[in-house]
Amino acid sequence: MTVSTATTAISTASAARRTDRRIRIARRAATPVIVVLSLGGLLLWLSTLELDSIEQRTLNWDYIFLRTGEHLNLTIVASILVAVLAIPTGILLSRTRSRFTRGFVLGLANVGQATPAVGVVILLAIIWQTGYTTALVALVIYSFLPVLRNTMIGLEQIDPFVKESALGMGMTSGQVLRRIELPLAVPVILAGLRTSLVFCVGVATIATFINAGGLGDMIVNGLKLQRFPVLVTGAVLVASIALLIDWVASVIEDVLRPKGV
Amino acid sequence: MTPFDLAGLLTFWSRRWDDILELMVEHLVVVLISLAIAMVIGVVVGMLTWNKPIPAAIVIAAAGVALTIPSLALLALLIRPFGLGWTSTVIALTFYSLLPIVRNTIVGLREVPPSVLESAMGMGMGPIKRMMSIQLPIAWPIILTGVRVAAQLTIGIAAIAAYVAGPGLGTLIFNGLSSLGSKNALNFALTGTLGVIILALLVDAAFVQITRLTTSRGLRA
Repeated sequence: MTVSTATTAISTASAARRTDRRIRIARRAATPVIVVLSLGGLLLWLSTLELDSIEQRTLNWDYIFLRTGEHLNLTIVASILVAVLAIPTGILLSRTRSRFTRGFVLGLANVGQATPAVGVVILLAIIWQTGYTTALVALVIYSFLPVLRNTMIGLEQIDPFVKESALGMGMTSGQVLRRIELPLAVPVILAGLRTSLVFCVGVATIATFINAGGLGDMIVNGLKLQRFPVLVTGAVLVASIALLIDWVASVIEDVLRPKGV
Repeated sequence: MTPFDLAGLLTFWSRRWDDILELMVEHLVVVLISLAIAMVIGVVVGMLTWNKPIPAAIVIAAAGVALTIPSLALLALLIRPFGLGWTSTVIALTFYSLLPIVRNTIVGLREVPPSVLESAMGMGMGPIKRMMSIQLPIAWPIILTGVRVAAQLTIGIAAIAAYVAGPGLGTLIFNGLSSLGSKNALNFALTGTLGVIILALLVDAAFVQITRLTTSRGLRA
């Protein structure tokens, strides 16, 4: 009796694991399929349209590649800058013993989350200048705090006993940081970076308002000139980029996660 | 490049405070309408799928995809069928609110201990009675946390909706952009941005109170 209940328990558990795995694989495969289908649908739809001269000026490969390149450039450069600036700052801040500094930074991060991205971009353009550099700085400011916060939280949620045992084994505190704390915090830090990447794709769309290019240009031009195909192409491309970047980040997350975690 | 001028900002506020207040109320109303719609859809979908792993995974994945789409792109696409203004804004904001609400509903309902459900069954409660008087009250604080996250998210996105003639404080921010170079540009943009931040903090504080007041008395800490 007990044996049979035990085996049913095991078989249901393994069934649940199998469903889990199937769901994970399906989710992994879904994004590229959705992106390919929507881009294919877009191409098909565009090929049935009779484009006028205004539409032809934007709906050609050169223009689309130029804008997509600008968009990706803004997103990726901003994310790299954020990673380089925010992760070390987070590590430094998590080492301080000052309650005040910590509370201040986490509070600031919460207010930062409430700040609208459009506001940051446009304010910066007004007090400084318009263009690429301003958009880049706005993106970095905007995604700096979430990554910083995730780095701090990731380092803090580590079991203090683990750190203590590492110290007891004779590791120096630098070794503990490099070989124990950082690897354990990697999932949380990467989750922060992934969020900031997806965010950057969205905010880079707004960069068009301050003349920093990107695919937002196509959306705004389509709106202003009432050319729906141009608008749709811009919107679908931006959405596809966001989905693909999120997907690539999720794959990287899985690869970089330490095996035991 | 506009230098900051505090006296100018204060004059700006004293001359236009009624406009600013009106935009702030509009901003709040559009967010609340969207949240209410998203809450009805999200909680119902969550109640229908929480105990079915595959539909629940599909729903959460779909809502995640929705959240990834940049807001300007979604708003632009909504203009053709729904026109400029309130309707497009409400639809877009509802769309973005769904993920946190659905996910938290599913998580909250799953966290009800099976033994509690079994006792409810033993007392002769049917599935609907169980959901309404046992599961939903226990999951309620988690569901409200989802709504709170959605509120923070949509208050920020609503600012962009002003570009498609949506209501709210975004209007001030875009006024600042279109008067770039003039004396009031900074005042407009700064007022809009600060207004959004203040609104977000006020709503967040309100949610703490709402959560406390609407949580079943036995569950309050």
